[in-house]
Amino acid sequence: MLGFLNKMNGDKAIWAVVALLALFSFLPVYSASSNLVYVVGNGTTIGYLVKHAILLLMGFGIIYGVHRIPTHFFKGLSLIAMPVVLLLLLYTLAQGQVIDGANASRWIRIPIVGFTFQTSNLAAVVLMIYVARYLTKIKDKTITFKESILPLWLPVFLVIVLILPANFSTAGIIFSMVLLLCFIGGYPFKYLLGIVGAGILCLTIFILTAKAVPDLFPNRVDTWMSRIESFSNPEDTEADYQIEKAKIAIATGGIVGNGAGKSVMKNFLPQSSSDFIYAIIVEEYGLLGGFVLMFFYLLLLFRIVVVANSNGTVFGKLLVLGVGLPIVFQALINMAVAVELFPVTGQTLPLISSGGTSSWMTCLAIGIILSASNKHAQSEPEEIDETNPLEVLSGQL
Amino acid sequence: MPVTEKNILTRLYIVAGLLFLFAMAVLVKLVSIQMVEGDKYRKLAMDRTEKMFTIAPKRGNLYSDDGSLLATSVSRYTIRFDAETVGKKDFEENVKPLSDALAKLFGKTTSHYQQLLRKAKANKNRYALVARNLDYSDYIAVKQFPLFNKGPYKGGLIIEQKIVREHPLGKIAERSVGYERVDENGYYTRVGLEGAFGEYLRGIEGKRLKQKIAKGQWKPIGWDNIVEPQDGYDVVSTIDINIQDIAHHALLGQLEKYNAEHGCVIVMETETGEIKAISNLGRTTDGKYYERLNYAIGESHEPGSTFKLMSMVVALEDKVIDTNTVIDTEKGNYKVYNRTVRDSKHGGYGKITAAKAFEVSSNTAFAKIINNNYKENPEKFVNRLMNMNLHRELGLPVKGEGTPVIRYPGDKGWSGVSLAWMSHGYEVSLTPLQTLTFYNAIANDGEMLKPRLIKEVKEWDKTILKFEKEVINPSICSKETAHKVQQLLKNVVEKKHGTGHGLYSPNFSMAGKTGTTQKNYVSKDPEVMKYISTFAGYFPADDPKYSCIVVIHEPDKSVGYYGADVSGPVFKSVAQKIYASSPLVDEVDVHDAETKNLDEEFQRYFAASNKKYNEVPNVEGMSGMDAVSILENLGIEVEVKGNGKVKKQSIAKGTDLKKVNKIVLELS
Repeated sequence: MLGFLNKMNGDKAIWAVVALLALFSFLPVYSASSNLVYVVGNGTTIGYLVKHAILLLMGFGIIYGVHRIPTHFFKGLSLIAMPVVLLLLLYTLAQGQVIDGANASRWIRIPIVGFTFQTSNLAAVVLMIYVARYLTKIKDKTITFKESILPLWLPVFLVIVLILPANFSTAGIIFSMVLLLCFIGGYPFKYLLGIVGAGILCLTIFILTAKAVPDLFPNRVDTWMSRIESFSNPEDTEADYQIEKAKIAIATGGIVGNGAGKSVMKNFLPQSSSDFIYAIIVEEYGLLGGFVLMFFYLLLLFRIVVVANSNGTVFGKLLVLGVGLPIVFQALINMAVAVELFPVTGQTLPLISSGGTSSWMTCLAIGIILSASNKHAQSEPEEIDETNPLEVLSGQL
Repeated sequence: MPVTEKNILTRLYIVAGLLFLFAMAVLVKLVSIQMVEGDKYRKLAMDRTEKMFTIAPKRGNLYSDDGSLLATSVSRYTIRFDAETVGKKDFEENVKPLSDALAKLFGKTTSHYQQLLRKAKANKNRYALVARNLDYSDYIAVKQFPLFNKGPYKGGLIIEQKIVREHPLGKIAERSVGYERVDENGYYTRVGLEGAFGEYLRGIEGKRLKQKIAKGQWKPIGWDNIVEPQDGYDVVSTIDINIQDIAHHALLGQLEKYNAEHGCVIVMETETGEIKAISNLGRTTDGKYYERLNYAIGESHEPGSTFKLMSMVVALEDKVIDTNTVIDTEKGNYKVYNRTVRDSKHGGYGKITAAKAFEVSSNTAFAKIINNNYKENPEKFVNRLMNMNLHRELGLPVKGEGTPVIRYPGDKGWSGVSLAWMSHGYEVSLTPLQTLTFYNAIANDGEMLKPRLIKEVKEWDKTILKFEKEVINPSICSKETAHKVQQLLKNVVEKKHGTGHGLYSPNFSMAGKTGTTQKNYVSKDPEVMKYISTFAGYFPADDPKYSCIVVIHEPDKSVGYYGADVSGPVFKSVAQKIYASSPLVDEVDVHDAETKNLDEEFQRYFAASNKKYNEVPNVEGMSGMDAVSILENLGIEVEVKGNGKVKKQSIAKGTDLKKVNKIVLELS
C-alpha cells in the first residue's frame, strides 16, 4: 500500500483537490438519486451510490495509469488517437440517438461494460493534446496561415463539425479552448481572428441550413435557439422553468444551507445530478458550500498554472494548460448556468456530477496534468529508445 | 515569432486572470440571487412546493338503540383499465385469463369482459370502466388478477377509492337514517338522522403540510399533522330495528293493498318520547314503494278526526261539557252560516253523549259543541289549543319539520265557520309527529314530551353526551281530563259502536282515534275526492308503553278509505307484534285464574321436592306427575292407577323410607 502511495507522483495539491472533490461528490449524487428513484422510478438509491463509486474508482485507476506515462509520449498518442476519435465521433453521430425529437447523439454504448460513453469528451482531450503538440512543433518557426491549415485546422474543424450537430455547447467550448491554447501557444493573433470569423460564418451557414431545410440532417438548432431566447428574454417562458427552479434552490439555501439531502428543488430540476448540481449544492450546503466548491476549482486552476510554470518543456506547459484549463472552464460554465450568468448548456460539473464516463475524461486530463507535474517523467530522454515505437514517434514530433 | 516560455506564461496569466474574474462573477451572482432576489424566490418556493392538505376524518357510525348499525362508512373501489399503457404482448397473453377471472368474480361471461377489454385496447381507451363499487375483498382479488397484478403502468390498472355510507338495513328507514352531503361552498344538505346529528358524526378535518416532489406527488413534511384529524363520534339513535322492521313491513303491506299514494308510521315510547320507529313510504312511478320523503316529520296536513281529541280536551278542560253531556247530532247535518257539517253516517246518530260522539266520531256533534260554546269567544278555544303547544314546531334536530297551522281569530283565513271546522280537524294543520306528540301526552297523563331520535353520543365505549327525556309541557291538561279522554280513546276500540272496534282484540288492549280526512274538498266532485286515513293512539290502553300514529294518503277508494280500515290494521299489526315480543306484555297475557292455580301448585311441588325426607311424604292431593317425581327421587318404585290428582297412597305418610320398596298411587 505504501509502495503504491509512493508510486503516486506528481503535484500533491492536485491529488488532494481531486480526492476531496471526488469524496464530496458522493453527497450531492446520493441526494439527487432520491429524485431518480422515487419520482422517475429508476433503480435504487444505493444503486446510484455504488455506480458512482465504481465510476470514481475506475476514474482513479485512469488517473493513476495515465500519470505514470511519460509526458512526451502523449505527442505520439495523440497522433495515433486522432483518426480513431474521428471515427468514433462519426459513428456516434450516425447512430442518431434522439431526445425529445431533437438529435442528441452524444453517447455510444460500450459493449461489455454497459456504460454509455460521450465521445466528444474523449475527442476534446485528444484534440487539445494534438493542438499542444502542433504548437510545440512550430514554436520556433514563423508560419503562414496556409501552412497551418492542414496539420492544425483540418483536424480541429473535423472534430468540431462532428460534435456540433448534437452538442453545440461542447463544440463551442472545445473551439474556445483550442483558440485559447493557440493564443497561449503563440499562434499568430491575426490568424486566430480569421479563424474566429470563419467559425462564426460556418455556424451561421449551419444554422441557416438547418432552419431552411430542417429534415436534411438531424440537429438541435431549435433547442439552442429556444435556450438562448429564454436566456435573453426577460419574460417567463417555458424554458425558464429549470433556471427558475435553480434560483429557488439557491435562494432557499441561505448561508449554511438546508442540510445534506434536504434539497427540495432536486425533485423539480430534471438535471439535478448533473447540469444543475451546483444549485442543489448551494441549496443543501448554502453559500458556504458554494464558495468552498468554487475555492477548490480555483485551487485546481492555481495548481495547473503552477504545474505549467514549473514544467521545463514547451509541450509540457501547453499540454497541462490544454487539458487543464477546459476542466476549470467547464466547471465555471456549469456554475454560471446555475446562477443565470450563462444560457443553459448541459455541461456537467467536472469531478462532482454523476456524469458517468465524462468524469473518466476529466480523470484522463488530470492524469496527464499529474504526469506533466512529475519531475521524473517530464525531462525528455537523452537517447531515443529505438525499441519503443511510441518513443520513436513522440521523439520525432 | 519564436515562442518562449516567458511569453507563454505572460499569456497564461492573462487567461488565468480572466478565469478568476469569471469565477468571481459567478460568486457575486450567487450572492445576489440570495440577497437581492432571495425573498421573491423563497416565496415562490413556498407557493410552488408546499400545500396544506386536509385529511378527511372517519365519519362516526349511526346505531340503533340496541347497538345495531344503521349507517357506517366503508371504502368502495372502482376499477378502470388503461389500455394504452399495457404492452401488446402483455395484453394478448393476459386478456383471456383476466377475462376469465373477472367473469368468475362478477358472474358475467368471459366473452363480455374480453370484448370490453379488446374494445378498450382498439379504441386506445385509457379509462375504461371494468367494475364499480367493489368492496375491499373484491378489490384485493381484482388486484391479483392476471395483467392487473402488473400494476398501474404495465398492467393498466386504475383504482379509484371512495368512502361511501352504507346502510346495513337497506331500504328500511333509509329516509329516516338519511344522509349528509357537503358541496364545494361548505353548504350541508342534511337529511334524516345523518343530517340531524352531522355535527357529532362528522369529526374534525386534519391538516397536513405536504411538499411537492413531482407532478402530482406530494410528500408529507415533518412527523406530525398540523391538525390531527378527529374521527366523528358514534351516535346511538332511539330507533329500535325490530320495531322499525315491523312498522316498515306493516305499512308497506297496507300501502300495497290499498294502492295508496304514500304513508308513514311513527312509534314512540310513551314514557321517554324516544322514537322507536319512523317509516315513510311513497309510491314511485313504477308502483313500488320506497323511503322517499320524510312525510312523518315534514308533511303538515289537516288532521281530520284525530283532532277531535284536542277539541275534546279543550272542551273538558273548560268544562263547557262533560263526557255525559247529551248532544243532538241533528240527523247528521249541522248548518253553520252557509255551510253544513255532515256526519259520515247518513242521518246522524240521534241524541248521543259527548263520549259517544267521540267514539263514533260525529262531526256534527263536535262542530256543535265547539261552535256553540266558543262562538262568542273563539280566542278562548284557540288559546287553549296554543297552550297545549299545538301551534309550535317541535324543534327537532332533523331538518324540514312541517309548520303547524292553528289560526287565531282575525288571522287571514279565519271565518265564522272556522270554529266548527277546526273542531273536527279542518282549517288546522299538523304533521303526523305533532299529532302523535299530543296523543303521547294524553297517554302520559298530560305530560308532553319532545320526540327524540338520539340517545347517546359515543366515542368507542366512552359516552360523550347522553340525552334524557325532554318535557315540552309538563301538563297540557288536568289529570282528570286526561283520564277521561283516555277512557274515550279506549272505548273507540273496545266499544262495539267505536270507529276502531274493527281492531279490537281480546288479547291486548289498545286505545286510539281514527281519522278520515278529505283532502281536496274544495272540489265537490266525489270522483276526484281523495282521503287521508289516520289512526293515532297508544297501547296497552291501561299502561301505555308505546304510542303510534299511522297516516296513509290517498288510498284507492274502491278498496276503502276509512281510517279504521286503512291505517288501523297497521297500528294493530305494530301493536300486536311489539306486544308479542315484549316480555312485559307476555306476563300480562298469562295472568288469568287458571295460571294462578298452576303457579301455586308449582310452589307446593317445589317446596315438597326440596325437602329432605327420611320417611314417606304425604303426596295426597298432589298432581300425579309431581307425586311420582318426588317419590321416585326418594328411590321408591311407584305404580300409578288412573289420572289426575293423588287420591290415595298405598303406604301411609311417616313410614320409614328404608322399609318401603314400592308404593301404589290411586289417582282420581
